[in-house]
Amino acid sequence: MRAVQILVDGFAISSLYGLAAVGFTLIFGVSGVLNLAHGGIMVVAAIIGWAAAGEFGLGTYAGTLIGVIAGLIMAYATYLVVVRPIQRSRAIRPEETEIFVLTGTLLWGIMIQVGMAYLFSDNPVTMRPLIAGVVNIFGVRTPTNEILIAVIAWAVIGLLWLLVNRTRTGKALLGASMNPRGVTLLGYELTQLYLIAWTIYGILAGTAGVLLASFLGVSTTNAGQLTASAFSIVVLGGLGSVSGSLIAAYVVGYLETMTAYLIAPTLRPIPSLILLVLVVYVRPQGLLGRR
Amino acid sequence: MTFLRSRLFWIAAVVVVIAALLPFWLSAYLLGILTAAYYFGVFAMAWDLLFGFAGEVNFGPTFLIGLGAYTAAILNANYGLPIPVCVIAGAFAAVVGGILLAVPALRLRGPYFGLVTLVAVLLLQNFVVIFAGVTGGEIGMTVPDVLSIDADVNYWYALAFLVLCAVLLFGLSRSAVGLILEASGQDAVGAAALGFNVTKHKIAAFCVSALFSGTAGAMLIFYMGTASVNTVVDVAIAVQIIIAAVLGGRRTILGAALGAVFLIVANEFLRPLGQLNTFVVSAVALAVILFFPEGLLGYALHRSERE
Amino acid sequence: MTGAVRLQVSELGKRFGGVVAVKNMSFDLRAGEIVGLIGPNGSGKSTVMSLIMGLTRANSGAIRLDGVDIAGWPAHRIARAGVSIVFQHSRPLQRQTVLENVKLALLPDSLLRLATGASAAERARAIAEQVGLGGVLQRHPWTLPFADLRRMELAKAVARDPKVVLIDEPFAGLTAGEIKVFSDLIRTLRDEGRAVLLVDHSVKSVAALADRVIAMYLGERIAEGSADEVMQNETVRRVYIGGKIENVERKTAAAADRSTNLLDIDNVEVFYGKATALDRVSLHVQQDEFVSIVGLNGAGKTTLFNAISGLVPFRGAIRFSGQDLKTLTAAQIARAGVVQCPETRELFGHMSVRENLELGGGHLSNDERQRQLAWVFDLFPILEQRQAQAARTLSGGEQQMLALGRALMMQPKLLVLDEPTLGLAPVILGLLSKAIERLRKEHSLTLLLAEQNVTFALPHSDRVYVLDHGRITWHGDPARFAEEMSTGYL
Repeated sequence: MRAVQILVDGFAISSLYGLAAVGFTLIFGVSGVLNLAHGGIMVVAAIIGWAAAGEFGLGTYAGTLIGVIAGLIMAYATYLVVVRPIQRSRAIRPEETEIFVLTGTLLWGIMIQVGMAYLFSDNPVTMRPLIAGVVNIFGVRTPTNEILIAVIAWAVIGLLWLLVNRTRTGKALLGASMNPRGVTLLGYELTQLYLIAWTIYGILAGTAGVLLASFLGVSTTNAGQLTASAFSIVVLGGLGSVSGSLIAAYVVGYLETMTAYLIAPTLRPIPSLILLVLVVYVRPQGLLGRR
Repeated sequence: MTFLRSRLFWIAAVVVVIAALLPFWLSAYLLGILTAAYYFGVFAMAWDLLFGFAGEVNFGPTFLIGLGAYTAAILNANYGLPIPVCVIAGAFAAVVGGILLAVPALRLRGPYFGLVTLVAVLLLQNFVVIFAGVTGGEIGMTVPDVLSIDADVNYWYALAFLVLCAVLLFGLSRSAVGLILEASGQDAVGAAALGFNVTKHKIAAFCVSALFSGTAGAMLIFYMGTASVNTVVDVAIAVQIIIAAVLGGRRTILGAALGAVFLIVANEFLRPLGQLNTFVVSAVALAVILFFPEGLLGYALHRSERE
Repeated sequence: MTGAVRLQVSELGKRFGGVVAVKNMSFDLRAGEIVGLIGPNGSGKSTVMSLIMGLTRANSGAIRLDGVDIAGWPAHRIARAGVSIVFQHSRPLQRQTVLENVKLALLPDSLLRLATGASAAERARAIAEQVGLGGVLQRHPWTLPFADLRRMELAKAVARDPKVVLIDEPFAGLTAGEIKVFSDLIRTLRDEGRAVLLVDHSVKSVAALADRVIAMYLGERIAEGSADEVMQNETVRRVYIGGKIENVERKTAAAADRSTNLLDIDNVEVFYGKATALDRVSLHVQQDEFVSIVGLNGAGKTTLFNAISGLVPFRGAIRFSGQDLKTLTAAQIARAGVVQCPETRELFGHMSVRENLELGGGHLSNDERQRQLAWVFDLFPILEQRQAQAARTLSGGEQQMLALGRALMMQPKLLVLDEPTLGLAPVILGLLSKAIERLRKEHSLTLLLAEQNVTFALPHSDRVYVLDHGRITWHGDPARFAEEMSTGYL
């Protein structure tokens, strides 16, 4: 009974984690950025989506869409206001750029979190389900919405896969993650590719945020937690490896779900933290990483 | 260089004297803010030694601070040991924690190292909450002993502590060991080629940072009379420390202390804004990173050097 | 003069992944002698130096310092044992003064020392004065000229009285006058009884200084002897120049529109920090021409090509079909038809051969791309065979072909080829040569080639420029080159 519940819930949350983590990894692979404002972007998408759906009465579907767009805008803002200026700054030595970007995105993430809490309070928000109703899976009553979430998450991941592997732009992005100079010499503008990468990331993070709100509920206090989870997953899976992130998402998702059900909900994040430390010490490149 | 130092020395001396005389003019409330700020200053200086000199980004200085603080608090509250013993024990615990963290972590490249330090804080935070019986959990715990109940006396303790730490840390940064540390941080390969065991020096830097952080953390507990996750462990505090050091100017040690005082005082003035004060402070820090990556003091020192 | 054997390298081997960098390298270094270790890029000479200094760990072999095997020791321990290194690129501590930089070199590796001691300061001063830095002790590195930074590196290296001094590219970036001063300093080191190893890519530059020269190629020693002996050595000449320079019978190309230049390079200067990489270089390439730029490593060929491709800022003007390239981004330059196949190839290692090629044809329509791909496969059949393989699993020669094929996918108007023969076995050179021949015959293709290997470059070239230390020192047709330059080149 419980086992099935863990299986189903774990699957749903893992799919969402996977969605968010894939975006995180993509940005790292292409842009070289570990975006510590990741959780903040997801939270913005969730809360704006909820506000649009409920407070402004636009309904769940429109709200979801608006939430995703909000996430996209936030991603752009992160890139254009924080990341790009630091990367281009001549006052910062090249070896220190990474660290400054890290600190910059951390600060930006805090600004987002506090700003949103100020505007919307830090109460958890829940989006109304996109599909009402309940399904019966092996005797466990599961909201249909939960299944839908997993489906949507995978659909988006599938689209991303198609984009990267079947389109010219996608291949160029992949190339940029391997060798930026190489793609430049082949006539692709890096600045354009970076913008595309952040666009994809914004959509992924935004969708994940909105879906999370519909599944578990989101509050501004979750921002740090979400970033930490994404970090754990991406490091475990291997920075820069999309398939690694997906596998790791399921490992972490299930670990957390099992902890929440079998030990205590408050201890949810701990196993993934310990796992992260172990990975970093034992095999820093993660399961499938190549950097 | 020597000239700058003596000018700096006289300015610093004047500032310290003025600070020492403040209790005769300021209210107990304002003194309290400055007292906390001075301890914060030690946190920031210890961080700067590690980052500014050894070149290692520690995203979780509160791991060391928290270890020192809680060790001292637990020993005092649960075992009734006197303050000096608790403080020393706290410092010791922080150093041990620092070594455990540093030795394996220093094998990792930049962002991974930072990541591990961040995770260390999150883990400590969770452990404090789990073992609430001993630590008081999220609510925190009180300690029976305090340094003093007089605001003036507490202020002078804090100021003296800050000055002592500043002298020690600044002196260290200007010493031969400090030179080696700088070389290790700026150019590890070059330092190795000159015959320096970079790892050994970085671990030592970590230990020194831990020593000062842990001691300051313990002292802070005995000033406030309470220990809680929000005041000594939370990631938010860690971020404030980093902001303080970056604002003041990395690699100046003294800049970090200035940045800390500025930050705490600014926080106070922004209090009426409620939650938004964190927002404003983070925004200012972000602006500093974008436009003055050298920090305010770093910028000022650089300008005078170029003249 | 030369004394006991200080350093004994035996059967040293080092691999980076699948690439063998150093193979079975053995040599001795005696006290009171200067040995020059020379070789082109990829020969392994710099790796040998890193191995001796402990900056990389060898896979096999031994390195004995006064009889003690130091292979596997950490760098700082080797440094304390009496080996020091002057890196090719100066690495001063920017925030410290010259005196402090030198003082650092004198400090013991101790955690407890707080004061540097008056004697250390005195010694530091003396050493700095010895290398000629007496007047700038209190200055910071960013205020110093290039040559002084190099002096400081030398001062740091000799501060602790080393037995063995390794110097990487001692004269890179220096003027003729500065070279003379540095040579004297290095001679003093030898006269003090130290063992000096100079690593350079050019025999000529170390010829005057070295007592003995060892030449390397593809990780192995190919010659050893006096500088003259090595310069005359058959194998060395083949490796560097590609063999005897023959006077090639050339068919004059059909008259093409020669009135305007396709590529015009006008007084271009490039600076890396303070070092002059290109010094008022001017050259031109006309439509359908094959122009070669020959020169040794460090001459500035890659820098020039990076300037053309918009990857590095420069002074002066570069025009393509009349258009000023400074107004375009690097990607735009590539799309405009100036396609570079760089020395480092810049392949997408984890992508397949086919994916690499298709990315090159990314700006074409699907049909065009397929046709172009078929053409490239016809030119290089081995690529078609290996099209599903990941690029990084290919051999060196295959990777070069892939890089070339990928550049060709872009339908270049001007193909800029940087050292395609680097590190390749002679048999592959033949294949490449034939491929280029075919390209020229079947398509109207304008080529600008940079090469060390003159024998490879000459047969195809319409015109030749010689680039030396950032300057064009000779210009003419291949026949004249064979007459005038074959002796003086190496």
